[in-house]
Amino acid sequence: MSTVALCWSADFAVSQARCVTPARMKTADNLDPSAANLERARADAELLRRIARDDREAFSQLYDRFSRPLYATALRILNNPSEAEDIVQDVFLALWEKAASFEVTRGSAFAWAVTLTRNRAIDRIRMRTRRAELLSQTTAEDAGTQPSDAGPDSATRLLFKEQAGTVRAAVAALPPEQQRAVELAFFSGLTQQEIAAQLREPLGTVKARIRRGLLKLREILGGRHD
Amino acid sequence: MIDELHEELASLYVLGLLEGDELASFQAELAHDSALQALVRDLTESTARLAYSVPGSPSPALKARLLDQIDTAARWRAERKIVPFSVPAWLPWAAAACLAISCAWLGQLYLASRSENALLRDQQTLAEFELSSARNQLKAERLIAQHEVSSATGQLAAVDQNLKRAQQDADDANLQLASAQKLIAARDLQLAQNSERVAELEAKAAHDTDLANFKISTLASLLGNSPQALAVAVWNPARQEGVLRVEKLPALAADKDYQLWLVDPQYPIPVDGGVFTVDPATGEARVTFKADKPIKSLAKFAVSLERKGGVPKAQGPMVLLSQ
Repeated sequence: MSTVALCWSADFAVSQARCVTPARMKTADNLDPSAANLERARADAELLRRIARDDREAFSQLYDRFSRPLYATALRILNNPSEAEDIVQDVFLALWEKAASFEVTRGSAFAWAVTLTRNRAIDRIRMRTRRAELLSQTTAEDAGTQPSDAGPDSATRLLFKEQAGTVRAAVAALPPEQQRAVELAFFSGLTQQEIAAQLREPLGTVKARIRRGLLKLREILGGRHD
Repeated sequence: MIDELHEELASLYVLGLLEGDELASFQAELAHDSALQALVRDLTESTARLAYSVPGSPSPALKARLLDQIDTAARWRAERKIVPFSVPAWLPWAAAACLAISCAWLGQLYLASRSENALLRDQQTLAEFELSSARNQLKAERLIAQHEVSSATGQLAAVDQNLKRAQQDADDANLQLASAQKLIAARDLQLAQNSERVAELEAKAAHDTDLANFKISTLASLLGNSPQALAVAVWNPARQEGVLRVEKLPALAADKDYQLWLVDPQYPIPVDGGVFTVDPATGEARVTFKADKPIKSLAKFAVSLERKGGVPKAQGPMVLLSQ
């Protein structure tokens, strides 16, 4: 997991808020996950501050950093590429409009963006009442278009890959029952009772699995950012 | 130190799975618990990174659309910006004058407001007093009404009890009346029977006392030594009894009695009518007698002198005989 943090040296993230070069990645080889998270959060916050001043370039960079996980989340929840893009578009416009209201003390920009995306996707899925149909489907396939050469630069794509690898490994490290409970809770938009019914387990068991799963993820991924 | 329950609630909260009272309660705790806030932040951050665990990339056109949109928005914002202009030298003085006038006006307004406020406070106090008074009066009226209702209820209960008692008395009286009516009917029946009986008895008595039916005879002496002896006998055939009165009969010896005899043709010998004695001084006697046997048709009376106590069949000399 340490390779994920390579690109997030404090100087680079705060002053430039840009993706790092491979050379600088190597210098941060020993950065621990919590420190990497902290640096990434600071870089994101700086981008938002610039966006609040109508900085188009900062918006472009933030899009490159957030668009794939946000889109993947929306796609996983909605299982519809077109609707997932609509959600991502709405979220980025919201970030553009509300960047000035972002407070770093209340959490990271990334968590804010994910929360916006997830809430809007869940609202939409509930509005469509397609829950049963979507639940019957298993793992969402990667229906999105692969990034073109005109997309994020290679360093950003590398960062994304590292992040994705880290998180997938963390999820895979969870016991299967915790993994299933956490995934359903995060991506399905179901209530506690509906998750318990879906898993055919008592509600208390499901709650305990979610608790243990999230605590384990925090332990692996290093949750504290401030 | 955060317990498992709060860890669980924080996990569910981060995932948006708390609802209703559970959510409100947790949010209330969260607002005052910095450790819980830190846990929620940590879990939010690590959970948000689950977004990296699923595949998917938006189309390149999306970024272009977004950049176009924000360019449009930026231009619109720029167009709304106010163009700066040069400030005339007199403007600060004018502004100061306006400010002074405004301050004076606001001060006056403030004083007027204070005065009005005091008046309103007085009115509010008065209104509160009136409200309190009205509440007290309402409370008193409610208490009086409750008391009256309670009293009326008690009276109603008493009246109801009296009514029940009167109904019971009426029922008892009706029973007694029915019993008395039965008794009267029984008495009337008995009276009617008694009246019938009285009538019968009166008829019988009339018959018995009818002198026309009586047998009255005078008895003449058959003795030479007492020719003046006289007797009258009256026989009531209905009552089968009679009365004999004698005068001047000779005095009896100690071992002798006079014995009355009744002659009825249906019997071969005279029927015994009983023994009697006379007053030795006057020779008088009054004797009520009855026949020894039923007499149908009395023909004669006779008196004989017999031994003391009488005999079943006349043996001694005949002293008197009806004419």
